[in-house]
Amino acid sequence: MHIIRILSLLIAITTIVGQPVQAKDMVIKEPPKSLAKFYPPLSEQPKWTQQMHKLSTHFGGVFINLKEKDFENVDKHADKLVEEYKKTSEMVPEWEEYFDIKAAEAFAAAAKTHDMAKAGKASGGLGKTCGKCHAEHQVAVWTKYHWPSFHKIKVIDPASEKEVDFHKFMKQISGSFKAMRVNFGEGQYGRAAKALRAFKSEYMELKSTCSKCHTTDDVKRFYVGGDASKAFEGLTKELNAEKPNPGNFWKNVGLVGKTGCKNCHLTHRTSSMIKEVWEEK
Amino acid sequence: MKLSTRLLNLLTAIGCFAIAGVSIAYFLINEKFEWIPESALELVREKELVERPDAKRCSECHKDIYEAWKDSRHSISWTSKTFIEASENRTKEKCLACHIPESVTGEKPSPRLDRRDEGIYCVSCHFVNGKMNGPYDLVAPPHPTHRNPDYVNSKFCGSCHQKTFKEWKETGVDDTCQNCHMPRTKSRLTQKLPLSLLHKKKWVGNHKFLHGDITEKDILIEAEFKERFFNFSLLNKTVPHGVPTADNGDPRLYLYITFLNAAEEQIDQAKWILAPQQETALPFNKKMEFRYRLFDPVAQANIVLKYQPAWSKEKDMVWEKTFRP
Repeated sequence: MHIIRILSLLIAITTIVGQPVQAKDMVIKEPPKSLAKFYPPLSEQPKWTQQMHKLSTHFGGVFINLKEKDFENVDKHADKLVEEYKKTSEMVPEWEEYFDIKAAEAFAAAAKTHDMAKAGKASGGLGKTCGKCHAEHQVAVWTKYHWPSFHKIKVIDPASEKEVDFHKFMKQISGSFKAMRVNFGEGQYGRAAKALRAFKSEYMELKSTCSKCHTTDDVKRFYVGGDASKAFEGLTKELNAEKPNPGNFWKNVGLVGKTGCKNCHLTHRTSSMIKEVWEEK
Repeated sequence: MKLSTRLLNLLTAIGCFAIAGVSIAYFLINEKFEWIPESALELVREKELVERPDAKRCSECHKDIYEAWKDSRHSISWTSKTFIEASENRTKEKCLACHIPESVTGEKPSPRLDRRDEGIYCVSCHFVNGKMNGPYDLVAPPHPTHRNPDYVNSKFCGSCHQKTFKEWKETGVDDTCQNCHMPRTKSRLTQKLPLSLLHKKKWVGNHKFLHGDITEKDILIEAEFKERFFNFSLLNKTVPHGVPTADNGDPRLYLYITFLNAAEEQIDQAKWILAPQQETALPFNKKMEFRYRLFDPVAQANIVLKYQPAWSKEKDMVWEKTFRP
């Protein structure tokens, strides 16, 4: 059921952006539970990723040293590759079938002949085992472990000053943004001004929350920087005016939507929606 | 000569030698320690003290400093509930450098692997390049201490408090971080007898790293009702950095306004959050203007300012004011 929902979601996303579904259908299955112990918060380090880097380094190390004719290091990397490959095969029992120890040993043996052609040929069999697993799971692993879990994030509601669930907060802020627009459209400027104040204070709370991960100034400027601040100033100015100018108002609404909402949504929503489906279970 | 007289003379002589010995030792340790041969010092050196000891070991001599530190936020930088929650059970790599620094030197430190529960402890700040460092050159028989002028400069604190350091630098104020947050008193660096008697009193900074209270004198307000608006300004008059300030924490000032009509009924209310993570903290000595549109006639505005530190969910009252048109 969840797989169908994810597929539907992906189809919807690709349809929205006007891209045809590619030749190969992609199924994003939640990674096995046993993988969790190799990623934070259960592990202090992203051990699975580190393990992948080790394999990649030793695999690449064989060819780099073959090219340099540094055969002593070719042998070292070949041995370490087999050792780490075996170790990796035991880390996630559900993925054991992706590993082919004989292919790894055959590659190591070929590498130790110090013949580039033989090593290249033998690498194909081993490479396929990596490729198959990556094709089937890499997107899911990245989604699960390399993107934030928004359902775990709490935001302080500026009105009640209490922590609320992120998704609930997003509905609230969306409601305030809508209330401002609807009231303005109906000429209810007092109500629109009140909704703007609520919207702005909620927006600023998101800025606080996002800054817990986005600690560098550059990224803050991109998401919630000067453009969004100017747009808010513009909105406030119109709603403080005796006769607000609708042109200026809607222009600034567009700017807030573009710089404040869209940039973040484009970056985070897809992974967040997929994770939400997994986490509903 | 009587036996008792001879004994008295002997004791007097021993006493004189002892006083002279202590005086010479006092003079040498405090004034001319370079005269003491290194071979003599080697006899009293405790080598494990220059091998990254734990804070408890340092407390054997530096009891007062240890107790002040133990009472500080630095001592719980790794174990505080706020940090554990905010760092997702300490898995956010970017938090580690400053919550468990290996060695603070004026640049952003690297995180260490050992003694993490001690947070920012003695060794983090005083043990640099294999040597014990501090604001004074000291012979300190158990371990030598090398003077480094950085210990009384704000840049040292700026290793981790980078944004606050930048804010302070922009103010041009002479008072350093240490002047306000580590006020000095004349006292002994060690409380362990008899070593403490051999040390002259020195200016010692408060290792509780005081977090000053925000009061009425610090944040000034001016307000007026003008046409359809309630205008007011806030001024951080005394604190030479943003109020509040934090690199990654989330301390806040909450400003609440309640508008009443002539019948003293509440007709509107507003709130401002002044926080570094929202880039709304009050800069030093710069009036921040605020404007609030009123849609109904107002007879009174009651304003309350409260402060919430990053590590607390409680708010403290700063001041309360009333304004009328």
